[in-house]
Amino acid sequence: MVIAKEFDYQRPTTLEEATQILAGHPGSARVLAGGTDLVAWLRDDAVAPDLVVDIKAIPDLHDIKIDGDTLHLGSLVTFSDLINSPIVSEHAPLLAEMAETVASTGIRNRATLVGNICSAVPSCDAGPVLLGYDTTVHMIGPDGTRSIDINDWFVGLRETACAGDEIVSHLTMKVPVHGGVYVKLMRYAGEDLAQAAVGIVAYPGDEYRVAFGAVAPTPIRSTRIEDALRSKPLDEKLIAEVVAMVADEISPIDDIRATAAYRTRICEVMLERGLPAARERLDGTGPAYGTRLI
Amino acid sequence: MTTTFPFEAETDSDQLKTVGTGAVRIDGVDKISGAAEFVDDIDFGPGLLHAAIVESPHAYARIVSIDTTEAEEAKGVVRVVTGEDFPYKFGMYMEDRYIFAQDHVRFVGEQVAGVIARSHRQAVQAAKLIKVEYEVLEPLLDPKSAVAEDANLIHPDLDDYAHVPWFFPKADTNIAHWRKIRKGDTEKAFAEADFVLEDTYTVPRYAHCAIEPHVTVSRLDHADRLTVWTASQSPHTQRHLFAEALAPLGFTHKDVRVITPYVGGGFGGKAGVSMEILGAAMATLVKGRPVKLRFTREQEFYNTYQRQGVVAELKVGVMNDGTITAVDHKLFWDAGAYVEYGANVVNAAGLSATGPYRVPNISNDSLCIYTNLPPGGPYRGFGYSEFHFGLESHMDRIAEAIGMDPVDFRRKNAIQEGDELSYGAHMNPSGMIEAIDKVAAAIEWGVEEETDNPNTVMSKGIACFWKAPAMPPNASSASFLKFNEDGSLNITVSGMELGQGYLTVMAQIASEILTVPVEKIRVETPDTDRNPYEWQTVASHVTWSSGLAVEKAAIEARAKIFDVIHQVYGFEDESLYLENEAVRCSTDPEFVKPLRDFVIDGIQTEEGTWRGGPIIASGKFMPEFTNANSDPETGQGGHPNVHYTVGCTGVVTEIDRDTGRVWVRKAALAVDAGRAINPDLVKGQIVGGLVQGLATVLYEDMRFDEDGKLLNPNFTDYKIPTAFDIPDEVVPIIVEVPQPDGPFGARGVGEHTMIAAAPVIANAVYNAFGTRIKSMPVTQEKIAMALLEKGSG
Repeated sequence: MVIAKEFDYQRPTTLEEATQILAGHPGSARVLAGGTDLVAWLRDDAVAPDLVVDIKAIPDLHDIKIDGDTLHLGSLVTFSDLINSPIVSEHAPLLAEMAETVASTGIRNRATLVGNICSAVPSCDAGPVLLGYDTTVHMIGPDGTRSIDINDWFVGLRETACAGDEIVSHLTMKVPVHGGVYVKLMRYAGEDLAQAAVGIVAYPGDEYRVAFGAVAPTPIRSTRIEDALRSKPLDEKLIAEVVAMVADEISPIDDIRATAAYRTRICEVMLERGLPAARERLDGTGPAYGTRLI
Repeated sequence: MTTTFPFEAETDSDQLKTVGTGAVRIDGVDKISGAAEFVDDIDFGPGLLHAAIVESPHAYARIVSIDTTEAEEAKGVVRVVTGEDFPYKFGMYMEDRYIFAQDHVRFVGEQVAGVIARSHRQAVQAAKLIKVEYEVLEPLLDPKSAVAEDANLIHPDLDDYAHVPWFFPKADTNIAHWRKIRKGDTEKAFAEADFVLEDTYTVPRYAHCAIEPHVTVSRLDHADRLTVWTASQSPHTQRHLFAEALAPLGFTHKDVRVITPYVGGGFGGKAGVSMEILGAAMATLVKGRPVKLRFTREQEFYNTYQRQGVVAELKVGVMNDGTITAVDHKLFWDAGAYVEYGANVVNAAGLSATGPYRVPNISNDSLCIYTNLPPGGPYRGFGYSEFHFGLESHMDRIAEAIGMDPVDFRRKNAIQEGDELSYGAHMNPSGMIEAIDKVAAAIEWGVEEETDNPNTVMSKGIACFWKAPAMPPNASSASFLKFNEDGSLNITVSGMELGQGYLTVMAQIASEILTVPVEKIRVETPDTDRNPYEWQTVASHVTWSSGLAVEKAAIEARAKIFDVIHQVYGFEDESLYLENEAVRCSTDPEFVKPLRDFVIDGIQTEEGTWRGGPIIASGKFMPEFTNANSDPETGQGGHPNVHYTVGCTGVVTEIDRDTGRVWVRKAALAVDAGRAINPDLVKGQIVGGLVQGLATVLYEDMRFDEDGKLLNPNFTDYKIPTAFDIPDEVVPIIVEVPQPDGPFGARGVGEHTMIAAAPVIANAVYNAFGTRIKSMPVTQEKIAMALLEKGSG
């Protein structure tokens, strides 16, 4: 593999230093964490930075911590870290269920959760899951730190609320008692990008979060479906009712990976199978995390 | 009448010691330890130069100008190359291909220019600086529009192209070859048939996806000697095509040397010559310096060979008792921009498009059609996988229509020894019915399976297959064999170890005759200077053909051994035999002469002089009974195929009725190997071929945009199965009806194992839901959407 484009490389040791470097190269620098997207884009000439800023020498960005019901995930936490973390498996095993569907072991060892939402492709696996929680994205920029709700993070196709001179330091997520599922349509059982995905989190009191991936320019939450589910017993009739709403909630496209019609159909199937599983997991029953529902 | 075989090989099976056993692979330690060397592993030192290729962004265009000025001045650049440097044509069966594009480009990705630089990166950077101006022309992207009356001509000079005598190009059309078969009276047979089914099936293009990409290192030394290290299935054919194409530069065959170390997968993609000619040609411009050209995964997809797509129009007539009376099979092949190899795929399919059935009235038309897509070429199965999809789908549909069980229907029509083939010759011995019966038993055909999953349906499918090696009538194999001081053996051949176990099987054949254990036999990968001729490692023919050459060499060596013993001890040759690496004598049970005592140094006579000396031998095989001459209008009169290998595949599937996802819970595959020289390796071919075939039906699919650009030249969007995607269980079944002219009765099985995988899934899907999918691939999406449509319709 050859990267034809020539660029400079810097490896700051503090977040402050990193943001200063970025501020000094407006529009021409890229941040490197796991590199699983960036290196592929460089090779394909899809991006052409003059400077690559490697943040892997900055301490503390690997942290996975729990404080009460607040989970802290540093911006260098990889998908493998999520799979292997006892804190994650105790407090938010849905993150590990999602992480296990990402690419292959080698990629998961490098690719970061935060990098996934920074690339912000429509099929990013982290999106529909993080939208199921009260998630906050914490950033640092030339003017200091800033926090933003995950619901305001995804701005458009590969576009986020993060400015070019800002770096995400970590995420915080509220993880009270809950049950969740991540269901992902793939073309085979090997590693694949989501053709469509559903993230569902069930909270006590018949409260649900429902989000979809790869069926709109960004991962999207369906508050209409959440409203329809609120405070009602989850029975077959209610499930059928919300499944019937799916087609109006998403805006999938036809591409070589799948047709819009198939994506819609499978979103319905995933919601139909995912809702009872999320609910049962909340109740401590249901299929073990990691069980594939389609 | 049956075919007579002039060379009857040794087939005395009762006494076999090595043949028929699962000898350990002789390349196993090399590969497991990492000792095995591939082209990219070879160290050529700091003088190694690197090449990069400039490719056409258009499917069809006229080259107006090429400006190389900036590239020539770029850092590290040694030489820039364009079509002007090499205005020569080449090709395997038809000379329709240029080394670099001349006045036109005919597919997206075609090589227009090249850069040789001191580093790979510098070559890639400089290649981006070459400016090519094109006049874009309207491309032809599907075979049906390319044969329309007013279609543009992709090769206006087709009539002038040199080609093998069994091709029939149609001047002033895009038809590069039209294989016709006319046998009996199909019109009458269809009129008299109780039931006729006619339909169209489509199969897209596929990629080989070998782990190792194509790579060459080429060096023209200061004595004008051109050596090319290639990842290849065809060292001698490559040497021949390099020497022919570069003959205007003064090269002769003796000046060209091809060295092929281990290969990381071929599947047909490394047969013949594709990108290798670029490396070989470019090296001639930088005398004394080796040049490496290694394709990227993307180039691997769009500028080596692709499996051709086909539109198959099939009409079959049957009687109510299930007898097939007529087949009319029209195959419109999307052969791509250059068909120098692919046209023979078309030919092979046309000869055999009835499938493994006895059919008295046949009309086959197999058309090789130029399109502005990448060149089609050889791919495991060589046209047979493509037409079997429609044919074996059709067989199930006919059986259902006349109320017959599909297994019974196939048994009734199964081709058997002596049956007349489409071109008038007769079928070789084979175990078609045994294969069907064993597969039906293995999957418990007729027994319904249960599942606890409310979302899924269990079903079964069955499909048969056949295939003959597709090769020139005089394709040959040769071998050299020499003993060493300790009685061990070196054998040189020029077939390629592609992972199938070829080297091991050659050792087993020699071992069987000479009683030298396989562990004491080294069989090396080819170097055309030292190893004897082999046409190519394709067509599932090397076990048979190269095996016969090794068998003959071993027999010759044995004769020389006996001759020495005779000279010294006076025993008659007929009384001598080999046992445990020693010569024994039936008339003198006390006599034992170990091979290691004399196979180099000879035997001392009573007078003190010596007899014998190094035992060396050679063997060659050419199928002298074949003949590619036939009537162009009927295909009758020749004997183009040496023999057919037959078999049957069955599956038990579980399919999700909502998502369409298919799990193959069990698969059984029976293939008539004639004799399995190494049953473990045959089983490996069964599992591997089946998985590759299942991938083409369930996952893989080359997708092009409306401008002819390949949209998925990568594993992100071209899916080949992982370990998670293989069947839960595969039952490999070896049928052994000996091939009279095969080494110990063996015939090839390598390609056959993938041929019926596509229709067997289509049949299982139909049996699950009553939904017939007539275009490949049969993806989960296609199944789910068909079911959704059916449910709402």
